[in-house]
Amino acid sequence: MRLVVEDVSKSFRLNGTPIQAVDRVSFEVGRGEFVSITGHSGSGKTTLLSILGGLSRPTAGRVLLDGADVYSLGSDQLSEYRCERIGFVFQFASLLPALTALENLLLPGRFRSRRGTAAEEEAAAVELLGLVGLADKAGALPSQLSGGQQRRVAIARAFVNRPELVLADEPTGDLDEETEAGVMKLFRTINERSGTTFLMVTHDTDLARQASRKLQMHKGSLREA
Amino acid sequence: MARPLTPLRHALRNLARKPSRSAILVVAIGLLVSVLVFALSFVRRVDAGIRRTSERLGADLIVVPTGSRGAAEDVLLENKVSTFYMDRSIADRVRAIPGVERVTTQTYLATIGGECCDIPETMVVMFDQDSDFVVRPWLGRQLGRRLHKGEALVGSQSAFNINLGLTRVDAFLFGNVFRMVGVLDRTGTGLDTAIFIDESNLDDIRRKGKVAVRPGQVSVAFVRAAEGADPEKIAAAVENGIVEADAVSRRDIGRGVLRSLADIGRMFLLTFLLAAVLAACLAWAVFSGVANERAREVGIMRAIGAKESHVTRLFLLEVVAIGALGSVLGIASGTALTLALGRSFSILEKVPAGLGFLERAGIGASGLVIGTGICVLGALAPIRRAGRTEPLRVLKGE
Repeated sequence: MRLVVEDVSKSFRLNGTPIQAVDRVSFEVGRGEFVSITGHSGSGKTTLLSILGGLSRPTAGRVLLDGADVYSLGSDQLSEYRCERIGFVFQFASLLPALTALENLLLPGRFRSRRGTAAEEEAAAVELLGLVGLADKAGALPSQLSGGQQRRVAIARAFVNRPELVLADEPTGDLDEETEAGVMKLFRTINERSGTTFLMVTHDTDLARQASRKLQMHKGSLREA
Repeated sequence: MARPLTPLRHALRNLARKPSRSAILVVAIGLLVSVLVFALSFVRRVDAGIRRTSERLGADLIVVPTGSRGAAEDVLLENKVSTFYMDRSIADRVRAIPGVERVTTQTYLATIGGECCDIPETMVVMFDQDSDFVVRPWLGRQLGRRLHKGEALVGSQSAFNINLGLTRVDAFLFGNVFRMVGVLDRTGTGLDTAIFIDESNLDDIRRKGKVAVRPGQVSVAFVRAAEGADPEKIAAAVENGIVEADAVSRRDIGRGVLRSLADIGRMFLLTFLLAAVLAACLAWAVFSGVANERAREVGIMRAIGAKESHVTRLFLLEVVAIGALGSVLGIASGTALTLALGRSFSILEKVPAGLGFLERAGIGASGLVIGTGICVLGALAPIRRAGRTEPLRVLKGE
């Protein structure tokens, strides 16, 4: 896996005022890298992450994954890209309220074009729930889980399709220290064992220091820290 | 292993989150389908009843005493007990009209309710076994021989009306004991409620003095036209040549009722269309609310890989589930309404035959398709909007 970001910019207008959220950002990330992106609020971190994840088309520049321009893909292919190659950890609870923890984990599998058997998918999901310490909460609805537990289920969901690239936006934002350490340990384990690439946006400099490569955003521009 | 997460399961879970909102739409669709099923059952039942009667009589033309056209339709279509007579010679004159192949006569007698020992008020039909072509086809395998004096056949419905249900039971008719030797097959006409006896019984019945018919009188003459002959021309010949008789052709039977039925049908259609527009608007409003409320969830689904088609299918399943459930309830309540109110509509009460299983199944299937279709149609625009939700909204936390 090789992610190449070429001169990517994103601008929009907010209440009539032009905003340059991302300004000619270029960088490359290879397989197995663990990259942190830090920066102040409003520096463009989340916007950059959304562009890399195929969620927001840049106003200029290209995002290439293994040489293929992500934004040349059609709507369905872009969905497949998000489903099969990217794992998202959002900065807030993002579980579907009608589904149990286990079902939330099974959901991305349903969108895959090539699916395993139901038993295989469930076994993988149960294993991931165990890895985030929630094996006993498989049947619980999100409303029956604490905020931290919901966040851990959402983290587990990001890995369920065995993505090549995980984009994590403040992944431990509302977790206690112990759980945060557990999640980071999980990230590192997966990163080391399967060569999954991590791009993690965080305010927490201690957390950022655990990454093998550190990037910093400032007013839409990106530089190595 | 837990039950697999299927799109239908997901859709049903979503519906269960807002049970009262789902229930309102189910009830609205149910009411709509109920109106449809009731209207279709009503119109089809009357229409089919009349058409079946005219087809099953086996005659192309019915000749009745002048002014008794309505009374004859009452007997044949509405199971009314009615008597009217004309001279038997009229049948002979009809027989002589070119194009007439066969003529048979029937004489209608009414038992009198409340008379000692008689069965309740019932139409008794005396028929000529030698020329008959109306009753015989419905006799089937029941008898296999001529009907003797003192013997009677009962119409299929009459067998229940007079609490017989079985043959070879004696009954008291006009002061005479008749042995019921057979039950006719169901004809779907007014004749189902009658009792049939041979003309040779007339003298014994008249001796008891309870009937108005005089010797040499009949009520109707059934006419079968020869192959290639035009029944309308025969009818015209009867009307023009026999002043004491009127002619009713097969296609004229129940024409007045059918005309009224067409008006009733138009009223039902208008009511249904208005209700359908209302239900579609309700589906639109409900699913517009659902799409707005779940925009964030849809954003999450899209962000983790759902295609537009996945989202659209999920919402469609919800709409179809509501539409189908509402339709099934509507079919059940519409059918129950038809059966319950059937007795309070005189037109239905008098129509001889009910709807068969296939006709009811057809009406039910129409209700299911139309009810679900209207629900889907109303919700289509919000569903398409939901499918196109931008996944970016979820990252922004909107």
